[in-house]
Amino acid sequence: MTDPSPRGAVGPVVAALLGASLLALFVLPLVVLFLYVGWDGFVGAASNAGFLTSIRFTLLASGIAVGLGLLTGVPLGYLLARYRFRGRTLVESIVLIPVVIPHLVVGIALLLLFAPDGPVGQFAARLGFPVFDAIWGVVLVMLYVGASYVVLSSQLAFGAVDPEVVDSARSLGASPGEAFATVILPQSARGIATGALLMWARGVSEIGGFLILAYSIAPSAPWFGPTTSPASVYIWDLYQSSAGLEPAAAASCVLVLVALAIFLAVRLLDRTGLYTPHGGWLS
Amino acid sequence: MTEIKIRDLALDRGGFRLGPIDLSIRGGTATILLGPTGAGKTTLVRAVAGFLGLRRGSVEVDGAPVDREPPERRRFGFVPPGLGLFPDRRVARNVRYPLDIAGVREAGKEARRWMEHFDLLGLAQRYPHELSSGQRQRVAMARALAGHPRFLLWDEPLSALDVESRDVLIRLVREVIEDEGLPLLLVTHDPTTAISLGSRLAVIEEGRIRFEGRPDELARGPLDRFTARFLGYENLYTPSELAIASDLPLVAALARIAGPGGLCVPPEAVRWGTERWAGDSSARVRSVRWNSPAWSIDLQLGSLPIHVVGAHEIPSVRTGATVGVGIDLGKVKPLEGSSGPAI
Repeated sequence: MTDPSPRGAVGPVVAALLGASLLALFVLPLVVLFLYVGWDGFVGAASNAGFLTSIRFTLLASGIAVGLGLLTGVPLGYLLARYRFRGRTLVESIVLIPVVIPHLVVGIALLLLFAPDGPVGQFAARLGFPVFDAIWGVVLVMLYVGASYVVLSSQLAFGAVDPEVVDSARSLGASPGEAFATVILPQSARGIATGALLMWARGVSEIGGFLILAYSIAPSAPWFGPTTSPASVYIWDLYQSSAGLEPAAAASCVLVLVALAIFLAVRLLDRTGLYTPHGGWLS
Repeated sequence: MTEIKIRDLALDRGGFRLGPIDLSIRGGTATILLGPTGAGKTTLVRAVAGFLGLRRGSVEVDGAPVDREPPERRRFGFVPPGLGLFPDRRVARNVRYPLDIAGVREAGKEARRWMEHFDLLGLAQRYPHELSSGQRQRVAMARALAGHPRFLLWDEPLSALDVESRDVLIRLVREVIEDEGLPLLLVTHDPTTAISLGSRLAVIEEGRIRFEGRPDELARGPLDRFTARFLGYENLYTPSELAIASDLPLVAALARIAGPGGLCVPPEAVRWGTERWAGDSSARVRSVRWNSPAWSIDLQLGSLPIHVVGAHEIPSVRTGATVGVGIDLGKVKPLEGSSGPAI
């Protein structure tokens, strides 16, 4: 890191102190959480079959949600980045709606739309996608609250690809599809992956929408395990139970470690050479 | 040898009208497209490359129209002004890209041949951002050629190069187009590049080709302001500039022979000295500087600045001195109007 300021300037010191206080706010509660739970409490939560089922369910639902988020969000990000069309500003505003709406409201709105006795809810169930208290409800909430990050990150990533580079690829013999697959997508991969990671993290940490739409999950394809809850709801239940804070804190530690492990795995992938210095992929 | 013909090409783009343009480029020759900023050079190149739709006209390769074919089917080795290198691919993978796309079996070997030609083998594992601008330009050219193009279409690829690198590239490009029998349409602002490389020049202004021919034909023909600048003429004056200073008899004489675009006073038409000649005007010395290989002197004749070169010995005048000035009116070149009829 280079220091743009003259030696002895107080600006960077003040900035570092203010930044450090924010970092402390991020880290200290987790330190206290792990100290409070202790090793025995952590092992107890990590071997709790019910909670492990809940985590498995959450990983499955969030994986499906991120897959759908990529499937729908990346093309939308591409359109917004590379085309000027009437209503573009409106579309960009709509993409931001989930970011500004309280997530409890998201749950209520989705419940009204997908009510089990309503036409949309019944239609979805007939297609094999029951929403209320089912895995698809969880997926739907995760998609709603997180897919904006995929769209925004993709839009930024696609927008950063130099149009001249794409023109060159076309002139060198690549069809529009080949230019997308070999030039645009590899250069945007890092941005898209960042969006997917943010979406995943947002979905796993969600609770408001689940409390309304998908509190207790009955088995239905593709979840064939026992009845369970999303991990955040499971922890909330523990906290509300007579056992109180202790088991909820222990389960929280396990969830934090799972989330950090996935986050670190993605970051490591980023450093292993699969990405190139300019965000490309496997060149 | 491939021949490219641009026939009656015209298009409209955001209020700008290009064409009608007719241009023919034979295999093994280069046509240099010149023109001021906004004249339509890049628009023409992008239209020929297939990135812009035509209002009318056609682009033909050996007599067969290609204007309905998308850019990837034309096999035109297009190099945009920014070179369009893939930033996430090393040099070797940049150069072999067109061969991989075409599914060429010995893509690596073929790419190696072009890297060798452009002296890139030692840089094969570098990323574009790790190269100098001259090296990046060589990569862009090697990649354009590796795809076995029928035509080369280069938009300012030699800009921002030092003289030595540019001369090396010009030599390489000449060799390639002659050996491969390729036609080249090259956009440049640089007269040296144009003269060194160009079999023919095409001067475009306000969306139309105003001159097409050999460089010496351009120099012999009637001059307008752009052509005079391109050919390196100095001391260009508009009619209004001459009118303002015409209280001086010498300038009044110049104003009488000026063309619609004014006139050009070549430095060799100016004689000056510390002694006065009868009928000549006096001028003030604005600056005296060494401009290798000769001294360069700027004079001020009324409101007209005049540049004089050619003194190899230290001039005997200093800045601020008054000298006598005469102009050989027989060497003065009247200028055509800038939007006059095609040359």
